[in-house]
Amino acid sequence: MEKELRKQANRLLEEGTVDCIIGHAQGSLKFTTTPLITGDKTEISNLIISPFMHNNLANYLIRRHGKTGIVAKGCDSRSIVSLIQDKQVSRDAVVIIGVPCSGLVDMAKLESLTGKVRDQIEAVTVAGDKVSVKLNGKKKEYPARQVLFDHCLGCEFPTPQEYDCLIGEPVAAINDTELSSKKIADIKKMAPQDRWAFWQKQFSRCIRCYACREVCPACFCERCFAEESQPHWISPVPQWQDNLVFQVIRTIHVAGRCSDCGECERVCPQHIPLRLLSREMYDLIDEMFHYKSGMDKNAPPLMTAYEMVEAEGLIR
Amino acid sequence: MNSKKINKKDLKKLLDTWRRDFNLIVPVLENEVITMDVWDGKDTAFIDWYRNTVVPPKANFLPPGEKMISFEKKKDGIVLEIPRNGQRQIIFGVRPCDARSIAIIDDVFTETYEDTYYLSRRNNTIVIGLSCNSPYDSCFCTSLNINPVESAHVDLLFTDIGDDLLIEEITERGKGLLNMPDTIKKATKADTEKGQALKDSLAAKVTKQVNVKDMEHRLQACFNDREFWEKAAAKCIGCGICTFLCPTCFCFDINDEMLKKQGARYRSWDSCSFKAYTRMPMENPREERWRRVRQKVCHKYQFLPANLGVTACTGCGRCIRLCPVNWDITQVLAGVPQKEAARSAK
Amino acid sequence: MTVTQISQRKKYLAQDNVYLPHIVVVEKIIEETPSVRTLHFHFKDDTLNREFTFDPGQFAELSVFGVGEATFCISNSPTRQGHLECGINRVGLVTNALHRLGTGAEIGFRGPYGNSFPLDDMRGKDLVFVGGGIGLAPLRSLIWNVIDNRDKYGAIAIIYGARSAADLCFKYDLDSWKNDKTVNTAVTIDRNESGWQGKVGFVPAVLGEMAPSARNAMAVVCGPPVMIRNTFPVLEKLGFAPEQIVTTLEKKMKCGIGKCGRCNIGNLYVCRDGPVFTYAQIKNFISDEY
Repeated sequence: MEKELRKQANRLLEEGTVDCIIGHAQGSLKFTTTPLITGDKTEISNLIISPFMHNNLANYLIRRHGKTGIVAKGCDSRSIVSLIQDKQVSRDAVVIIGVPCSGLVDMAKLESLTGKVRDQIEAVTVAGDKVSVKLNGKKKEYPARQVLFDHCLGCEFPTPQEYDCLIGEPVAAINDTELSSKKIADIKKMAPQDRWAFWQKQFSRCIRCYACREVCPACFCERCFAEESQPHWISPVPQWQDNLVFQVIRTIHVAGRCSDCGECERVCPQHIPLRLLSREMYDLIDEMFHYKSGMDKNAPPLMTAYEMVEAEGLIR
Repeated sequence: MNSKKINKKDLKKLLDTWRRDFNLIVPVLENEVITMDVWDGKDTAFIDWYRNTVVPPKANFLPPGEKMISFEKKKDGIVLEIPRNGQRQIIFGVRPCDARSIAIIDDVFTETYEDTYYLSRRNNTIVIGLSCNSPYDSCFCTSLNINPVESAHVDLLFTDIGDDLLIEEITERGKGLLNMPDTIKKATKADTEKGQALKDSLAAKVTKQVNVKDMEHRLQACFNDREFWEKAAAKCIGCGICTFLCPTCFCFDINDEMLKKQGARYRSWDSCSFKAYTRMPMENPREERWRRVRQKVCHKYQFLPANLGVTACTGCGRCIRLCPVNWDITQVLAGVPQKEAARSAK
Repeated sequence: MTVTQISQRKKYLAQDNVYLPHIVVVEKIIEETPSVRTLHFHFKDDTLNREFTFDPGQFAELSVFGVGEATFCISNSPTRQGHLECGINRVGLVTNALHRLGTGAEIGFRGPYGNSFPLDDMRGKDLVFVGGGIGLAPLRSLIWNVIDNRDKYGAIAIIYGARSAADLCFKYDLDSWKNDKTVNTAVTIDRNESGWQGKVGFVPAVLGEMAPSARNAMAVVCGPPVMIRNTFPVLEKLGFAPEQIVTTLEKKMKCGIGKCGRCNIGNLYVCRDGPVFTYAQIKNFISDEY
């Protein structure tokens, strides 16, 4: 599959169809990838497909000029379509190289299971529904479901719906929403005051690095509300109250745009379970509006359009 | 000289005595994140699993958010008040890379004007180092002339030699904490030799290397190379992780909050990676991302060395292992041309 | 270039805390233009009113408590004591708050910070002051200082301009200087207006027309960045060497004392190594970010 990917990327650059390719390359640490953004054909051989290609590359299309060939997993392609719906990206400015994704390995889960830290693990290989881990020369197998990201477990569209070329064959969705949303279900079982205490504790640890916002393709505002001083919506001082308000408002702002790519939670250096908020919003959007983000590039963005029937008699 | 030692099983006894007079801060695991927090009085297992924290020790002296001045609008004018802080504390388990970072930040907050908020915490803190027996694959301290078993800038240095912890006394303040003649024993020659051997074996464990020789001049020569910096900045997303989690980054913001007649002035961590950092109403000298990435690298390897005489990076690797997109400063530095330095040296 | 001594910098610390402002009371407000007002204020603590001093070019951090702090150059001359003056251009959060204050309001003052104009180097020389818009605020501190010590300096030329007649700041100073026979003053606006009797054209162009001599002279330039950048080549063409040209730079500041990091140009901090720089220094800056 990697060969085919590099072939396509090379072709796009050679033919001059695009001036830049955005994909994943091997990272400088084990079990990481890093975005490859290049117009240089000689660097295309660095493109990889890997169970660690977690970055949502749609993020790099925001305010990008020129024509770009972009590698997109299922969730990424939905983010690209969402950006097209919001008129942040023009459909003919991107060539989407779709890569069907069987799910990514959550190193945090693997560290928890093995009791080892990432750099103490020798090798990780994904084969079908098993993940094989090499530790101290010995191999151990885990069912993939224990090791893939929660959002990958709940992914409905692992094969990109919008693409210009597809690398490999479409893959079936795991779609194990029960397992994927177990943490959300657990939170919902809590009494309201316990839930509040839980979030208060979580947000006391937030340092307001804004990594969650910057990795997110749905956050494309040139100037975030958090940075406004007139009016002063929230304080830049990382007190739990302002941190919580920041996240809640951000969740509302990305409603209808979020594709549950899970990046926000993965990148948080304090391991704040942000997906509890984003996935809950994702499900609410589905429930209330029967809408899934990034499926139809011609549809208006959910929160900026309404049907007359929604007026429910308020507008006469 | 490593003159003393304590058996790991007795560590709890020692920490107990410290806990009586100080706020004792040790490595803990919170939400699967290694951090430092007040010791619970029971657990010393951290001595075996601890590697390094996510949030660096600077947070003890320059917290992520801090109240500077309270104000109250009273009838005859505005009244200002400074919060009192400065609880006596011990931070146990500071790695040599972080210890040097504390020395660097100390410099920044004492030169010309003394920053009383920083100093009231810093002067009341005893820093106890712990040699690094398990560097990460992202660590590159040895490239910055720091050894994982280094005793600079700490009051005491503990080194794990197996069943025992060697103790090197460095300051009088540190010495004063070791008043337990039955528990703390004199180190034998074999113990000291074990400690010495660790200097080489642990340094060898630091696999990431970068050549920073003449980096100040190399960066000066390529400062205006826009193409180089645009390429270096291409994948950076502009969050604050590398700067907030960097032990030597110290930039802060000052903001006021007010509700009716009471309010306060706070300072909080800020980052040169953010666009708003230099944004003025009429213009922003660092509008483009490549300028901000250039600022970050050059501040650490060119500007601060010119002002303080020391490279403002300790190779702790947090920026590399926690960056959402695996932006790696050692790769950028390795790409800074060598040739110009030779030319400008002539 | 004289740099303020550390002991002088530390002289006016409130309670040994660098960040704690003194309380000052607004005693007079002059609305200069629709967006610029000048505040006259004095210290609530009378000892400071008698003892406080500063050098032209230095700045202060003014606080509107509960809103924030911002940087302003002290725009009166230290030769005229009794109160302090700052020119405020209404552009952001704090400046808008300062524009809503009335007389009697209490605000915070931290300073004086930064270096100052090189008066020693200017002694005995002909001086050319080039200002635009609110850039006259730091300049007027220097101009009045020089006029109050008139015999120490040579010929004085003042070239000042703004977008329109309504945007001219410190009109009362311009009138005083026009009436002062020892000073050669030219005021210009960008485009002609009915009733306007002064010069018309951008400041750098008018400077070029007036062509002051560079012999034994120094030029001091203050104004919007684009005006400063366009004035340098005109001065160079007139024969001014980079060491003879002085300017002040503006950057976003918070602490004002070289700690928060944000006002740096390379390894220099505008709040500590500036804001006054010669063009020679600027040409040698590591960074073009100013």
